[in-house]
Amino acid sequence: MLVDFELIKRAQQGDSAAFNEIVLAYRKRIMGQITRLIARPEDVEDVAQEVFLRLYFSLDQLREEKVFEPWLYRLTVNAAFDYLRKLRRRQEFRMSDLSEQQVMMADAVAGGRADQDEQHHKKVREAVDSLLGSVSEADRILLMLKEVEGLSLKELEKIYKVNENALKVRLFRARQRVLKAFGAGAGKHG
Amino acid sequence: MQPLRGTDDDKLDALLREYAKACPDRDPSANFMPNLWGRIEARQRQVFSFRRMANTLATAALALSIALGVYMALPHASQANPGQSYIEALAEANALDAPDIVGPVHLEPAAEPAQ
Repeated sequence: MLVDFELIKRAQQGDSAAFNEIVLAYRKRIMGQITRLIARPEDVEDVAQEVFLRLYFSLDQLREEKVFEPWLYRLTVNAAFDYLRKLRRRQEFRMSDLSEQQVMMADAVAGGRADQDEQHHKKVREAVDSLLGSVSEADRILLMLKEVEGLSLKELEKIYKVNENALKVRLFRARQRVLKAFGAGAGKHG
Repeated sequence: MQPLRGTDDDKLDALLREYAKACPDRDPSANFMPNLWGRIEARQRQVFSFRRMANTLATAALALSIALGVYMALPHASQANPGQSYIEALAEANALDAPDIVGPVHLEPAAEPAQ
């Protein structure tokens, strides 16, 4: 825990300074997680603010210290999920239309030919973003938490409140769909 | 960076590792906290106006109920005499001369019984 429970209790009682301290302690971590979940740096602050806004208005429901971080994670996941859902309504992702450039980029990334500059990072994000268009927003987030954030199944269980076997099945299916899209994209373009 | 060799599984893993590097933890802008508090205050105002509206509606509904209750309890000029029985009230409402209710009655003389 980055903050002690006393601080959380003070924030629960309406102490704005205490709430500020909680935000300052967690915002960098939360923003990093959101960046990886949504792959759009330009919207990360907006989603992070939404997470802390939800935290502010639901903090009084928190009873136990040990559930604070999984709970904050759940708020983050839900805010990212809502963002992705809105985004999908605005634009369609189609892995079958993964551009040749993105496929080449994916190969280049894994092949070690690309440079580590921002342009390269942007292309990597776009390639992964397109690939993840082949699964639902919920599965996308689940995959990201497991494969990129490196969360264990036990941790995921706490966040999703779903048993481990169900999570395993869901993860396996989601990964298969992404792999299929990955293979289709690569096959289509060379 | 891992070389691109092997199955699609390996390639995907390599891509995701690279993705994690492409999305490092980042520092928020200077406006992060002011914007956050701005949003919190806006939401609080929204909640406050909603509560105020709900309270106003509840008060109006209560006042209307009381007014209706008082109105129903007061005797009205058109109301039938409370001392009347149901039958009396019905007879008064449907007087015999009301043409749509009671039409002309034709009585046939009864046939003379055969002697």
